[in-house]
Parts: sequence; C-alpha cells; structure tokens
Amino acid sequence: MTQPVLSVRDIVAGYGEMTILNGTTFDVMPGTITTVIGPNGAGKSTVFKTIFGMLKARTGSIHFKGTDITNAPPRKLLALGLCYVPQGRNIFPELNVLSNLELGGIAASADVNIPQRIEAVLERFPVLRRKGQQQAGTLSGGEQKLLEIARSLLLDPQLMLIDEPSIGLSPMMVQEVFSIIKELRAKGVSVLMIEQNARSALEISDDGLVLELGRTRMQDRAQTLLNDPRVGQLFLGGVIEEKSA
Amino acid sequence: MMNFINLLMAGLATGAIYALVAIGFTLLWQTSQTINFAQGEFVMVPAFFVLAALNVGMPLPLALLVGLALSMLVLGVLFKRLLVDPMLRHGVLPLAICTMALSIFLKETVKEVYSAEASPFPSFLPGGNLNLLGATISIQSISIFVFAICAVVALQTFLTKTSTGRQMQATAQNPYVAKLLGVPVERMIMYTFLINAALVALASFLISPVYLAKFSAGETLGLAAFIAAIVGGFNQIRGAIVGGLLLGVIDNLAAAYISTQYRGAVPLFLLIAVILFRPQGLMGRAEERTV
Ligand SMILES: Nc1ncnc2c1ncn2[C@@H]1O[C@H](COP(=O)(O)OP(=O)(O)OP(=O)(O)O)[C@@H](O)[C@H]1O
Ligand SMILES: [Mg+2]
Repeated sequence: MTQPVLSVRDIVAGYGEMTILNGTTFDVMPGTITTVIGPNGAGKSTVFKTIFGMLKARTGSIHFKGTDITNAPPRKLLALGLCYVPQGRNIFPELNVLSNLELGGIAASADVNIPQRIEAVLERFPVLRRKGQQQAGTLSGGEQKLLEIARSLLLDPQLMLIDEPSIGLSPMMVQEVFSIIKELRAKGVSVLMIEQNARSALEISDDGLVLELGRTRMQDRAQTLLNDPRVGQLFLGGVIEEKSA
Repeated sequence: MMNFINLLMAGLATGAIYALVAIGFTLLWQTSQTINFAQGEFVMVPAFFVLAALNVGMPLPLALLVGLALSMLVLGVLFKRLLVDPMLRHGVLPLAICTMALSIFLKETVKEVYSAEASPFPSFLPGGNLNLLGATISIQSISIFVFAICAVVALQTFLTKTSTGRQMQATAQNPYVAKLLGVPVERMIMYTFLINAALVALASFLISPVYLAKFSAGETLGLAAFIAAIVGGFNQIRGAIVGGLLLGVIDNLAAAYISTQYRGAVPLFLLIAVILFRPQGLMGRAEERTV
C-alpha cells in the first residue's frame, strides 16, 4: 500500500464560536488529482484554510508526507512542498507581474535557486514573461489565475491545494487551467482541487470526495462518483439541482 | 513675479514636508488600517526630543540622531504595541478615536513638561538667501524641498527595489495572501510604524526651524497631512506626494494673494472639491478588498 501524501483526520475547526468542520477525514494519494465537491457552505474552502494553517484546527490531525503539520504556519508548509491557490483573486494588484511572481519564493530555503526557478516558470507561462513589467491588476482574470498558479509552483511543490480555479474564467481559460493541473499530475505533483464545475473536474480526477456540513460524506474513485445517482442528482446538474437552482 | 517665485518655492518646501507626513499617514492606513489623528502631534514631538537632548549638552547632529531614535521607539514601537495592537482588535473606529485622545495627551504633556511657549529650533540645513539674476531666493526653502524629496525618493526606492520593501507593499495590498506566501506580515507592519516615525521625525526637524517648536504646532500640520492624503487618494504614496505639494503651494499662494484670514479655509475647499468631484482622490483607485 502506498502512503497518502496528505492525510486529514477528524478535523474540527470553525470561525469564532461557530463550528464548520465536524470531524473531516480523508486522504490524498500521491500523484493523483482529487476533487472535493459539496454544496455551498459545506466547508470546502474551510478545509483548505485549516490544512494551510490559516485557521486553527481545534482537534484532529493533518499529516503531509508522514510529517505532522497540524496548525503549522504557511511558511513551514511551503518549505515542506505544499502550496495553496485560494478562491478568488489573490495577487498584489499594484506590484508588477514579476514582483508578484518573486514573492512566491519568500519561503524558500537558502539552497533553492530562485532566479532559476523563476526562469523555469516563465518558460512554461510565456504570457507572464511578456507582461512581466505590467501591474498585475491589469491582467485579465484568467491571466491572474495563471500568475497565481505560476507563483505557487515557484517552490516546486509536491501537493497543490487549489480552490475553485475555474470560477469566473472563460471556457477556454478553464480548459487551460485544467490542462495545467493534468500536466502537474504527469510530473508527479498531487493536486487537491475544489470545483463547482463538478462534472468536468471529476472527469480529469482520479479520486473525489463529497463534503457536506463539514463531514466527508463519500470518498471514492472519481469515476465511481460520476456514476453514482445520488451524486448526479445533487451536484452534477441532476433533477434536484435544477429545481433548486 | 519674483515674489511669486519665492512664494512658490516656500510652498513647495512646506508641501514637501506635508508630503512626508501624508506618506506616513497613508502607509499606516494601508498596512494596519490605522487612521492616526495624532499624526500632527507626531511631527511636533520629535523637535522636543531634540531640544531636550540639546539641553543636556549634546551637539546638534547627535541630538538629531537621538531625536530620531527616540521617535522611532516612542512613536513607532510603543505606539504600535501599547495603543494600536490592543485597540485594533476592537475595530478601526475605536482605534481612530484613541489616536484623537493621544493627540491631546501629547500636546498637554509637552506643554506641562517643556513649556507653553514657542521655542526656536536650530536648522541643520543651510540658510540665507541666494541672489540669482537679481532675484532673492531663500536657500532654506530650496534645501528643505531638496532634502524632503530625497527622503521620498529613498523611501520609494526601498519599497520597490528591495525584497523587504516589496514584502511591505504586498502586506499593504493584500495581507492575507502575503501571509499565505510566508511573508512575515507582523514584522512588515512594525517596519511601517518605524518608517512613519522616521518620516514624522524628519518632517519635524525640517519644519521646526521655520515655524518654531510649539506644543500646538501639530494642529495645522496634522490637518494638512490628512487633507493631502485624502486629496491624493489615501491609498497611494504617489498621491500623498502630489497632495502634499499641491496643498503647500495653494496654502502659501492663498495666504499671499487672497487673505491670511481665509488661508485655513482654502485646503478645506480643496478637500471638498476633491470629495465631490473625484472621491477616489487625484491619484487613487477605488478601494477594492478581497475577503
Ligand atoms: N471568515 C469567515 N468568518 C465566518 N464565517 C465564515 C468565514 N468564511 C466562511 N464562513 C462560513 O463557513 C461556512 C463554510 O464556508 P466555506 O467557505 O468553507 O464553504 P464552501 O464549501 O467553500 O462554499 P462555497 O462553495 O460557497 O465556496 C459558511 O457557512 C460560511 O458562511
Ligand atoms: Mg469555497
């Protein structure tokens, strides 16, 4: 049996007095794409914030490559090879594109050659090189997402958490982002992704999990979830979804 | 005409000082949502640190250094630790109100401890007049202007060209994401308070030789910096510079050509005009914050 790259056990967390995660438990296997689906407000983004040390886990544990990272600060997680691309726009609008990119290397340990990593990332995302001196706020929504992804790749992560990457992007840009995610998997990077666009996301995923009211409702192969009528009805544009929407 | 050029020069000199104070004001707002209503008093206090140091017999350069260091300690570190950190937990408004209280406290303390009288303050810049093609130009105005602008350029260079500076900008623009990337956000915020303290100290050393050191000297200065920051867009260093210079020039010209009595009202007119016609400020963008 291969060890999971990320293992989340019985996490309880929330905001202030409010509890959002009630014992969330799941695994991410190395080299896979795992998609998290679930209704709005289920706590999907909250799980990511808790894994990445932005929200305190009250109980439970999180292990990354066998190391206990429960409540570890972002800086440490980045150095260990974990990265996080949150929902929405997460750039520094008034800094130029290159400076935005460079800030992805803040947490690097001394032996990482950042200029070389930047060069490699620019090679993969030529649009960022072309617009390197432009203020990041002037990029299109899709280009900003690419910048965020590129920035998170600067430290050569082994696991990427990415929250709703396709939201607000043009269909072509969504395809671009999904193909980057597949490319990462091909290089051995594991990806844990939250997606509203559940069907397209599950189609490129190996595993999937359904989160509801802060608990893991199902965890299975993505294909199995795609064929599951309950999942279909609730999240893949089935009857109930259409009526309630 | 000559008079006009002199007024313009004097205006630019005061304006450059306003700009220093307004930049500090803007930086505090950007990185820590602190609206510092004691900013004017922050300019008044460092002069008294220097006067105290001179009184115990220190030479001027040393006294200025001591004044700068004490300002960074008291108006930077202690201000943040003892007032901003505890109050910000309760919100932006309670903190703003506390800074109003602080401004009164600082004024009264200086009045009690030092004196209610205005004290002359030595200038470290060259003074006198320059005769240029038959015209007389105040060297002091020019040197204040040049010195302040050099300080601003140095600050801008630090903020844009060094990694620490860019981490500070990142913290100001999006503290949540800065933290995600491993930027030591708390330390960057502390640096901002130190920079603000250095800016107000510098402003103090530049303006006190002209307008004397007095416990009430911060009242007009604070208002001017506040207006300059808003006129410039409140969230922009560039804006604070333009706002400061504009205000300094208008202020001086209005005093000479309109009336000294209305002098105080002119900046307010400028403020009202900007709020009515360009609420995001001359250089500002509409504020947009991600949640
Ligand atoms: N910063 C916050 N403070 C307080 N409550 C929050 C905060 N962020 C989220 N919540 C609440 O926590 C619950 C879960 O939010 P979360 O963002 O994790 O949901 P989600 O599954 O990602 O939903 P969506 O599909 O809308 O992104 C929601 O009820 C939300 O209102
Ligand atoms: Mg979410």
